[in-house]
Amino acid sequence: MVSPDTLGLLMQGLTNVTPQSVVMMLVALMLLYLGIARHYEPLLLVPIAAGCLLANLPLSPLIADDGMLRVLYDMGIRNELFPLLIFIGIGALTDFGPLLENPRLVLLGAAGQFGIFLTLILALLLGFTRPEAASIGIIGAIDGPTSIYVSGLLAPHLLGPITVAAYSYMSLVPIILPPIMKLLTTPQERRIRMPYSQRKISRRTRILFPIVVTVLVGTLVPFATPLIGMLMLGNLMKESGAVERLTNASAQEIANTVTLFLGLAIGSTMLGTEFLKPSTLAILVLGIVAFTVDGVAGVLFAKLLNRLSGGKVNPLIGAAGISAFPMAARVVQKVAQEEDFENFLLMHAMGANAAGQIASVVAGGVLLALMGAGGH
Amino acid sequence: MRRYTLGLRGREFVIDVQELAADRFDVTVGDERYEVTLAGDEDLPEATITPGFQPAPEAAGNPRAPAVATAARARVAAPTPAAAAAPAKPRPAAGSGGATLGAPMPGVILEVFVAAGDRVERGQQIAVLDAMKMHNFIGAPRAGLITEVCVAPGQAVGHGDAIVRYADS
Repeated sequence: MVSPDTLGLLMQGLTNVTPQSVVMMLVALMLLYLGIARHYEPLLLVPIAAGCLLANLPLSPLIADDGMLRVLYDMGIRNELFPLLIFIGIGALTDFGPLLENPRLVLLGAAGQFGIFLTLILALLLGFTRPEAASIGIIGAIDGPTSIYVSGLLAPHLLGPITVAAYSYMSLVPIILPPIMKLLTTPQERRIRMPYSQRKISRRTRILFPIVVTVLVGTLVPFATPLIGMLMLGNLMKESGAVERLTNASAQEIANTVTLFLGLAIGSTMLGTEFLKPSTLAILVLGIVAFTVDGVAGVLFAKLLNRLSGGKVNPLIGAAGISAFPMAARVVQKVAQEEDFENFLLMHAMGANAAGQIASVVAGGVLLALMGAGGH
Repeated sequence: MRRYTLGLRGREFVIDVQELAADRFDVTVGDERYEVTLAGDEDLPEATITPGFQPAPEAAGNPRAPAVATAARARVAAPTPAAAAAPAKPRPAAGSGGATLGAPMPGVILEVFVAAGDRVERGQQIAVLDAMKMHNFIGAPRAGLITEVCVAPGQAVGHGDAIVRYADS
């Protein structure tokens, strides 16, 4: 005869299922569906969903003291290592050439960050604390690692929802941006052609650029040093061509490995008791506000540049200033070509997009400085 | 600023077109200045004038050059910003005399949909150009007969490199 105790021990999985954990497992399944069936940022959403599912199974040993997911979290999220490693890879993949060819595009990158600060204010009004509000605002940087980095420092308890919001909306760039762009521009404006400049950027300039930016940004916004430093390290390795193996490793193997670790660890923070709160819903809504405002500000600012330049700037490229490299730039090219198939804005959009990438990082550093966050 | 020198019934006119905005131009004919607005700008497929060509200066020795030059200059009838600014695609066409469709930006040709001898409509897809990892639609700038396809799939092209050439219209 089996004693009731033994039965209890054998059944403890079932008896520890909570309604919250069931909801979270359904959330995980939905994220899996979005990643696998709908191809929404599958590289991130699939590991996040897996982490979420595994962490919400009853009594999951994976998030116990020495559980794998907990180890991953301590290894790379709590101390910000993972997002920084990913930034090396992003730097190694980013071509700043189009930006160097047309340096005034840097202004568009700045305009594309406006949503961060408006969302921050909105979040404060909704009753979030200052560090929380800043972490929510950073969704408006539309850059995953930056969002993870900033919110990891300021409000680690909101990391799950903020990361999910940031990556979900990034994957929705091709759906969210075009209506904004079309609403704010006339067909005439969308048809403005911008000649492709043929300025050759010398190798020396390309090599000096990451170094100068690192020193400049690092001095002006010390809190941005880790992010900009890693981004530019990757870019320096790529442009110098001297360490091809390291460049490839950063852009491929390291980035892929860290993406898996990062996703799993982030997913493991999405516990029912932590995630299923009204604040998560508020974050998802504020995130899309931040996103929309970024796009609007970018396009409006590009319209201003268009006026100032006497009609030479196609306002559409402002939408690429939001970051989300390189997807936003591709969306700009698509929308422009819908209006005029002979119009090629891609290179200009890429320039604005790369500027947005740098501006996102700087904005993250500025936010951290404003919040007085140190190295903890 | 572009200067068109037009021969009309034996007289020569010098017309300067200055682009102020995409749809506003400052046009000077002789001594008179006009500010004009551009309401439309399109290449008409049946145009008798070959649009978009700059007569190469060195073509002077070419016996056919004067006719071509006059045609190109006559474009001032519809001062297009396109002529002034947009297809800054330098067309390394000189020599063949036909029109050339140049690559709008550097990239790799993925597919070519036309062959020499094909007749194309304006807007018909000519090729797919992979630039910055994006597949770009390259359409025919005007209707006409393709005489030469200058690229093959997988070929890297620089900005302005010829993709196809048209026959003279």
